[in-house]
Amino acid sequence: MSDPDADRTPSVLARLVAPFVDRSVAERLVISVAAILLSIAVGFALVLVSGRIAQCSTAAWTMPFTGLGFCYNPVEVYVVLFNGALGYPFAVGEPGLFNAGWTPFNLSLGLTLSETTLLIFTGLSVAVAFRAGLFNIGTQGQLVVGALATALTVLALAPLLPAGPIAGVVLIGVGTAAGAVGGGIWGAIPGALKAYADANEVITTIMLNFVAANVAYVLVLEVFRAEGSSVVATRYVPEYAQFRPWLFPPSSDFALLALLVGVAFIGALYYFVEHTSVGYDLRTSGVQAAAAEYGGVNAKLTTVRAMTLSGALGGIGGSVWVLMSEGRWMASIPDLGFDGITVSILAGNNPIGVLPAAFLFGILKGGALEIGFRTDVPTELVAVLRGLIILFVAMPEFFRMIGRYTGVAGGAGGAVSTGPEETAGGDGGETDA
Amino acid sequence: MRNPLSPTAVLGGVIESDYLRSLLVGTVGAVVLLGVLGIAFPDSVFGDFSGIVFSTSTGASTARLAAPIVLAGLGGIFAEKSGVINIGLEGLLIISAFISVYAASVVGVGNTVLGIPALGVAFLAGIAASTFLAAVFAVVCIEFKADQIIAGLAVWLIALGLAPFMSTVFFGGVNTPNLGVSVGWHYSATLVLLATVGSWWLLNQTAFGKHLRAAGENPKALDTVGVSVSKVRYAGVLLSGVLSGVGGSALALSIGQFVGSGETMVQGKGFIAIVAYLFGNYNPIGTLGAGVLFAGLDAMQIRLQQLGYAVPDTLVQTIPYVVVIVVLALVGRTQIPEAAGEHYETED
Repeated sequence: MSDPDADRTPSVLARLVAPFVDRSVAERLVISVAAILLSIAVGFALVLVSGRIAQCSTAAWTMPFTGLGFCYNPVEVYVVLFNGALGYPFAVGEPGLFNAGWTPFNLSLGLTLSETTLLIFTGLSVAVAFRAGLFNIGTQGQLVVGALATALTVLALAPLLPAGPIAGVVLIGVGTAAGAVGGGIWGAIPGALKAYADANEVITTIMLNFVAANVAYVLVLEVFRAEGSSVVATRYVPEYAQFRPWLFPPSSDFALLALLVGVAFIGALYYFVEHTSVGYDLRTSGVQAAAAEYGGVNAKLTTVRAMTLSGALGGIGGSVWVLMSEGRWMASIPDLGFDGITVSILAGNNPIGVLPAAFLFGILKGGALEIGFRTDVPTELVAVLRGLIILFVAMPEFFRMIGRYTGVAGGAGGAVSTGPEETAGGDGGETDA
Repeated sequence: MRNPLSPTAVLGGVIESDYLRSLLVGTVGAVVLLGVLGIAFPDSVFGDFSGIVFSTSTGASTARLAAPIVLAGLGGIFAEKSGVINIGLEGLLIISAFISVYAASVVGVGNTVLGIPALGVAFLAGIAASTFLAAVFAVVCIEFKADQIIAGLAVWLIALGLAPFMSTVFFGGVNTPNLGVSVGWHYSATLVLLATVGSWWLLNQTAFGKHLRAAGENPKALDTVGVSVSKVRYAGVLLSGVLSGVGGSALALSIGQFVGSGETMVQGKGFIAIVAYLFGNYNPIGTLGAGVLFAGLDAMQIRLQQLGYAVPDTLVQTIPYVVVIVVLALVGRTQIPEAAGEHYETED
C-alpha cells in the first residue's frame, strides 16, 4: 500500500526508505527512537534535579563551570545502565574501547535477556488487544492468574510422573497450557463485559488486576503455601520441570529456550494477525468497528476472542515467569504487565516490533539492577522512564512539529495530513487505533 | 446499530431518566432495611453489619476515603464534558498525595509559611503538582493531538513511577515516614460537599458550564460563536487537576503519610472515580452518591476485618473492586459527550 503514497512524497529520505519499509512503519520507528531519546533526556534532568535536592556527604558529580555539586552523577547512571545491562562490554575510564574479558554469556546480559523474554509475552499480549482496538491494561492480572495456574498444575502433576527429562518436557508443556487457559479466562471476562454489557475495558481490566492479585494471594496464603516459607509462596516446582539455562550462568534466571519460544510466538502471532482471516477481522474491528460489522464481522465475538487471546499470552508470560525465573509462584510479582504496555506502544503494536522493543526495555530493566548495585540512584527511575516513553510515543505530532521546524525529520514524518488516512486505510495498529 | 427494544436499551432508558432517583431510593432503601434487620436481630450477622454501617468510625473513614474518589470524579466530569477523557486521574491523585506529604515535611509540622500553616501549604503544593501534571496532559492532548486514553495511561504510569522514586530520593524508601499529624475527617467531608455544590453550580448555572458542555458535545458550534474550543478544554482539564489535587492531598494528609509500595496508597481510586461519575451520569450529585457508596464499601471492609469473621482480610478488600466491575457492567454505556476523545481542529 505504500508505493503510490511514497511516489507522491517529495522528501528524499522518504524515497530512500520507501522501497525497504512501509513509510508509516518507518515513521513509527523514528518516533519510537525519538521518544526513547527524549525520555532519557528527561530522566537525565530528573536525576540531576533529585541529585541536587537529595542529601549526601560528598558530591558524586560537579557541574562544569558552575561548581554546583550533585549527589548523583547522571552520566554515570546511564553508562552503568546501558553498559551494565550488557555485562560491561565497553571499557570506561580504562585503556581500550572494549573489555577483553567480556563474553556474551555473562550474568548481567542473562538478567537482561530474562527480562526481555518475559516482556515479549506481556508485550504481545497488550499488542494483540491494541490491534483489535482494545486497551488491555489487565495483562498484569492475567499474568498473575496464569502464573498461579502453571505453578499449581505442575505441582499437582509432578508426583504422578517419574522424575526425568521426559516428565520435564510434559510438565512444562502442560503447565504452560494451564497458564494460557488461566490467563485466557481472566482476559475473557473483561472481553465479555465489553462486548455484552458495554463496560469500558480499561477500567474493568484495572479492577480485575486488583482482584487477581488479592484472590491469588489469599489462595496461596490459605491453601497452597509452602511449609515453613517466610514469604507467601507455593512450593518450588521440580528442577527438571523448569526451563534449563543453556550457556548462561544459572543465577541469571535466563533460559535461551524460553527466548526462542518467545520469538516463535512473535512469528506465529505476526502470521495470525496479518495473514489469517480471523486476524483480519481482528484488525478491521480495531480500525473501523462499524465497517467491520457491516462487512460481516461479528464484533462482539471478535472482542471476546481478542481479549481471550491477549489474556492467554499474558498467562503464558506468567508461566515463563514461574518456570524460568522464580521456580514457584510468589506474592511479589514484578510489574511485567505494565511494562508490556510500554513495549507494545514502543513497537507500534506490531508483533515484529515487540522483539526490539522488549530487548530495549529489557536493557532498561536489567540496567536498573546494575544502577541499584553501583549507584545511589533509586531503581524506580526505570518506572518513570516507562511512563515517559508511552507519553512521548503518544504524541507523534510533537515530533512532526520539531521535524518541520528543523527540517530534519520531515522525510520520515511525511505530510502531517497522512496520519488519519493511514489509520482508516486498513494499515491499522497505530497507537491511536 | 443498537436495537431500541433490546433489554440493555430499555434498561439504559430507565437508568437515564430516573437515574438519580433510583440511585437515591436504592441506597436509602438498602440502608434502612439493614438498620431494621439490625435492630430486630442484634445478635445476627445483620446486627454486626448495621453496627458497622451506623458506627461513627465507619462514617469517618467513609468521609476520608470518599474525598479522593468524589473529588477526582468531579474533576473527571469537567475534563470529559469539555471533550477530553482524563483517564489519568489516578496519576493526579498519586502525585498530589506524595507532594502534599513532602511539602508538609519540608515546612515542618507546626511551622508556617507567610502565615499559612504547614498542612495548608501541603494542600497547596499537592494541588499545584496535580495541576501541573494535568497541564502537561492537556498540552499533549490538545496541542499535540495525542490519543487521550494512551496519554492518560502515561500520566498514571509516570506518577506511579515518579512518586516512589522521589520518596526514595528524599526519605530513603518508597513509603514516607509518618508526619505525626493528620487532617480530621470533618475537613474531608466539608471539602467534598463544597466541591460537589460548587461543581454543580459551575456546570449548570454559569456561561462557563455552557461552553464546557458545548466543547464536548458540539465544538464546531462553540467555535462558530467565537469561543475558543482549546481554551475551554484547557480549563476543563486544569480543573480536573485542581480537584484531583485536593482529593489526593486530602487522602494522604488524613493519614499523615504517603505509602508508595505496590500500586501506592491510591490503589485504583482514580479509576473508581471514573466509574463513580459514569454511575452518577456526569451529575456532580450523582457522583457524590456513587463515590460515597464505593468509599462506604471500602470503609466497611476495614471494620469487617476488625470484627474477625473467618474471611481473610485480603479477600474482603476485593469487594469494592468487584462491586465497581458489577456497577460498570450494569450502567453500561452512558451518555458520553459526542465529541469526547476527538481532537478538534479550529477552522479559520
